[in-house]
Amino acid sequence: MYSFLFFTDEVNEVAREEEMTFARNGTTFAGDADLEDVRLHQCIQVDIEAGFWNPTASQKRTRNFLQVTMAEKERPVVIKEEEVWSWGAGTDGQLGTGKLQDEHLPIQLHIGAGGGLVSVLSCGGAHVIALTTGGRVVTWGRGNCGQLGHGDMVSSLQPKPVEFFEGFIVTHVSAGWNHSGFVTDTGKLFTCGDGSFGQLGHGDCKSNSFPVMVSYFASRHVEQIACGMRHSLVLLEGHSGHRVYGFGSGKHGQLGISEDKVGSICLPQTTTGLEDANIFGINANGDHSAALSAEGCLYTWGRGFTGGSDVNNPQRLSSSLSFIQVALGWHHALLLTSEGEVYMLGGKHHGWLSESQRMNPVKHLSEGSKEVDLGKIPGLNGIKVLQIAAGAEHSALVTEKALVMTWGWGEHGQLGLGSTVDQASPQVVKLEHRPPTIHSRTEVFCGSGFTFAVRHLK
Amino acid sequence: MSYDDVEIEDMEWNEELQAFTYPCPCGDLFQITKDDLKLGEEIARCPSCSLYITVIYNLEDFLGDSSKQKNLEPAKQQPVAVA
Repeated sequence: MYSFLFFTDEVNEVAREEEMTFARNGTTFAGDADLEDVRLHQCIQVDIEAGFWNPTASQKRTRNFLQVTMAEKERPVVIKEEEVWSWGAGTDGQLGTGKLQDEHLPIQLHIGAGGGLVSVLSCGGAHVIALTTGGRVVTWGRGNCGQLGHGDMVSSLQPKPVEFFEGFIVTHVSAGWNHSGFVTDTGKLFTCGDGSFGQLGHGDCKSNSFPVMVSYFASRHVEQIACGMRHSLVLLEGHSGHRVYGFGSGKHGQLGISEDKVGSICLPQTTTGLEDANIFGINANGDHSAALSAEGCLYTWGRGFTGGSDVNNPQRLSSSLSFIQVALGWHHALLLTSEGEVYMLGGKHHGWLSESQRMNPVKHLSEGSKEVDLGKIPGLNGIKVLQIAAGAEHSALVTEKALVMTWGWGEHGQLGLGSTVDQASPQVVKLEHRPPTIHSRTEVFCGSGFTFAVRHLK
Repeated sequence: MSYDDVEIEDMEWNEELQAFTYPCPCGDLFQITKDDLKLGEEIARCPSCSLYITVIYNLEDFLGDSSKQKNLEPAKQQPVAVA
């Protein structure tokens, strides 16, 4: 997808003179309000290749004028709006390549996200949910439980818009092992997919192939959903009080709703012990749960890391570090500090580092005096990290210089290094090089055995 | 090395595969059939990768009437702490 980049001032000037109608991301707009929109976006991207813009003769002259203006000023002429790559396990079409095969190297994709751009991805067991900049939802991959939300139980090898959300603006999505969660701008929560453990929150253990609103939260404002293997967490809007809820399987304490062992629950219940924490993010994967507070504190509950026992209530990790991101695998957790350093909890299996490979093992005490191993990820040598992601047994990060690095289990090519070899420390994934600019942002997302990278070019 | 130890009650019966299954980190499913269990097999394998899990179950539960699967007694052997 190619776009022309116009700069705001020039566009404003010309637009006033010509009263042009542009098409941006498939949406036609014109007039003063739209010029404000243009200003907000710094530039407008006219997708001529996709045929969104059928200029009149006058507009063609304007376009020529703009192109000439740009050429004169030696501004960039043609850019891609975003670049998406996938690699790793492809057994259920989760790579979006249209094939059912693993890829050991990054494959570039063209996700027709209904004319919009991908703003964020959430990758589950073998399916992917893409949220576009316009709040639309596109899904692909395994659909055997209805987790794609298309109203059927079939897999989709290609990205496919979820028609159910026509007319909604979706603001947050999460893909679990075989279920999916969606939050709208009005704070409504919808779920679909496998409900065998009550993880859809509808009061039963049925599966749904269309998204269904979770009526328990009908009068509340949901901010986030996090879907794990067999459980879900919900974060409500606000700053204090009962804001985190859990439902689905609680076998390993991952719901955080009781000191005692619980089985599965199919209606949301409040997670206890977070009432006084100003939680801004929740995470779930495998049988693990985590939450981060605005103050940089990490809370974890559910299955124990590194062979430890299960934790039934959120435990704050006692540390002087300030955490800004957490990514959960099935046996490990990655933590990103405000300094751009990455630490790991657990990881005895594959997304791991063996004891001898840990460069800076540090012991931390969580509340309740349980000793927790927190290891600093080796091999980064002070490179600042901007973002982290974790698959079931592999890990990924994006550095300040927009490099994507991966390590851990590699059997399905999920490290994107061209082989199936495991790696004990972060290795650079070769993506088409593009010097980072203030307008570009690279992000990485991991599903159980696969990985996606998105480079946004503004 | 076994990827994990999983109690049979945590596995799901998959009608299509005619096997007990448990999620594999590769995205596929660890699988073991009732016939395997009756033979005392305790390894459930993933058809897509090299990983396997150890299934913790009570052999006697599978030697009798196989329709009693729903009410499995807790495994006789000490369940290994899963982590």
